[in-house]
Amino acid sequence: MASNDYAVIADGLVKRYGERQVVDGVDLAVPAGMIYGVLGPNGAGKTTTLRMTLGIIEPDAGTRTLLGSDHPRDVGDRVGYLPEERGLYPSMKAREAVAFMGALRGLDWQTGRARAAELLEAAGLGHAIDEKIRKLSKGMAQLVQLLGAVVHRPDLLVLDEPFSGLDPVNQERLEALILAERDRGATILFSTHVMQHAQRLCDRLAVIAGGKRRFEGTVDEARALLPQQVHYVPTHVDPQLAAMLPPSARPDGEGWRFALPEEGIEGLLRRLIDAGYGIKGLSIERPGLHDAFVRIVGQTASESKA
Amino acid sequence: MSPLRRQIRQTLTIARRDFTATVFTPIFLIFLFAPAIMGSLSVLGGVSAASVTQGSSDKARLVAMLPAASAKALRSADAQLRPLVRGDAAPPPLALHPSVENAQIVSRAMLDAPGADVNAVLYGTLAEPRVVFSAGNRDDARYLATVSRQAALIERAGADAPTARMEPVRTAAPKRGDRNAASFLAVFGIFFLTLFLSGQVVGTMAEERNNKVIEILAASVPLESVFLGKLLGMYGVALLFVAFWGTVLSQVGALLPGDFGADLAHLRPAIGMVPFALLFAAYFTTAFLLLGSVFLGVGAQAGTMREVQMLSLPITIIQVAMFGLASSAVSHPGTLLATAAEFFPLSSPFAMAGRAASGAQWWPHLAALAWQLLWVAVFITIGARLFRRGVLQSGSAKPAWRRIFARG
Repeated sequence: MASNDYAVIADGLVKRYGERQVVDGVDLAVPAGMIYGVLGPNGAGKTTTLRMTLGIIEPDAGTRTLLGSDHPRDVGDRVGYLPEERGLYPSMKAREAVAFMGALRGLDWQTGRARAAELLEAAGLGHAIDEKIRKLSKGMAQLVQLLGAVVHRPDLLVLDEPFSGLDPVNQERLEALILAERDRGATILFSTHVMQHAQRLCDRLAVIAGGKRRFEGTVDEARALLPQQVHYVPTHVDPQLAAMLPPSARPDGEGWRFALPEEGIEGLLRRLIDAGYGIKGLSIERPGLHDAFVRIVGQTASESKA
Repeated sequence: MSPLRRQIRQTLTIARRDFTATVFTPIFLIFLFAPAIMGSLSVLGGVSAASVTQGSSDKARLVAMLPAASAKALRSADAQLRPLVRGDAAPPPLALHPSVENAQIVSRAMLDAPGADVNAVLYGTLAEPRVVFSAGNRDDARYLATVSRQAALIERAGADAPTARMEPVRTAAPKRGDRNAASFLAVFGIFFLTLFLSGQVVGTMAEERNNKVIEILAASVPLESVFLGKLLGMYGVALLFVAFWGTVLSQVGALLPGDFGADLAHLRPAIGMVPFALLFAAYFTTAFLLLGSVFLGVGAQAGTMREVQMLSLPITIIQVAMFGLASSAVSHPGTLLATAAEFFPLSSPFAMAGRAASGAQWWPHLAALAWQLLWVAVFITIGARLFRRGVLQSGSAKPAWRRIFARG
């Protein structure tokens, strides 16, 4: 891919706060038109990475390119941003708040107000168009802020922990909105530590832990880091059964759970049947993104301790 | 869109938000009418105090015990002299009594009589007048002595001495006193307005910090534009305040204290009245922007409203110090002190406004305005950088001034 095929390129970003190294050489390459997730545990450096990428703070080392420009401010009107710490003026009405954020990004007030009304209606907040922010629930205010981030129809939408604090209904609304923005042609870069959303939404993702990027690829590539899991339930159990199973096998309910052997499952099943254990239940499951994440982050924690 | 145009647009967006957020609130009405509330309370206090003293001052009087032939001359002299002493110094009414024997004893008895409230008594004759007075009424005694002297002159003239007809003449060349008055008025006017209005700027960034809106602003707009926008928004509020009270006072001249309105009409600044008014407006603008940009930068480092409130004292001290410096400069034009006050950015608008009254040249004012605007830019840039480094880079990082003390 050529460099202009990427909405965001970050190369070796470093940030220190005093003695503390918060981000340690993070690279990102976010292809245009994709939904890209930045995953990581709390305190991993996700927010700092996003803030450096957007030019809110300057990195101590490294470079970043946003929508083809080395100066994020120059393309500010093409970017939408929902920060982790939500913030709106409490005395503003919902429509004005959305239009104001559009105006900061170059949208004229009249257009901004008209679009704000459309967006609020579409998001199920039509009744709150002229309500002051202080009168809205936290979830509604969060949705208003998100609408403010998209009202100017940005080419790049950066969302920092967008799902936190939302109830399941609003989480679904937000997912739909993110997919709609992607379908419109926008690139979405978002951070989260909730794997279900990432698994459902992300075309590609990066895992950051301890200030470093630990993984980069698709959701399937992340899940492929772990072997598939076999859940086997024999027709009867006796003390000799464990000796026939792979060393990683551990009891799980009525049966046993173990990693799918590299040579496949057929040989093992044949031996178990021949030994009279039979098959009461059998499933082969792909590990979820959650498991992959735990493994990646767990490795990082182990390395740090070592 | 060019970066400059984008920045101007963003600045005006912030300014508009701050202006409307300030003006369209009930609290703004209290702010707008604060001078009226203050004035009303002062008047109420004054009326109450006056009513307490009214009774006794109404009863107080002066007495003249002279031969009946001198009564006309005395009345005439009192009528001539009384208008010259006005206000609190005005003497009590003069009562004329016929002369009596033992006038010395009678006059002392008058001063001593309970409830009579006689402050001073004139007795004897116009050729040989005597005045006695009770303690604390020496001025009234002097007045009586002057009245008797004037009455004697009138008697000697045989009739009321003619009174000169007075005719005001507007001189072509302004007097030094007029210029000094105009200079001081300019310095005081700008000080008074900025004292009221520029301090409002100090807490404006605290709102964004408390609401977490600053992250949105910082991601969308250069911090310098945020600072300038907030400054212009509050300047708009200040202009509204000035325009409102300017209109009220111009329409209701009675609200002006004393002869202020008439005195204002007789100001003769060296540069001319219209240019002087324009320069006053320009220097008020730069004074507001200069002090406001400093206060905004300092206030942005404050994390809580309590810290913002703590800043009000040093802010007032700075303003009063600048007023003092500029006043000294106006009193001693052409001195090193005056030059220093004209150059020092925070006192420059005050001192130069004073200079507009005493000097007719334009170029120093154009240079000074450019110099002052340059410093506005410098203060905004420094304030934004301190904010970016001290506050934005980390939620937990201490502001720059705290880090300085922490190192110590």
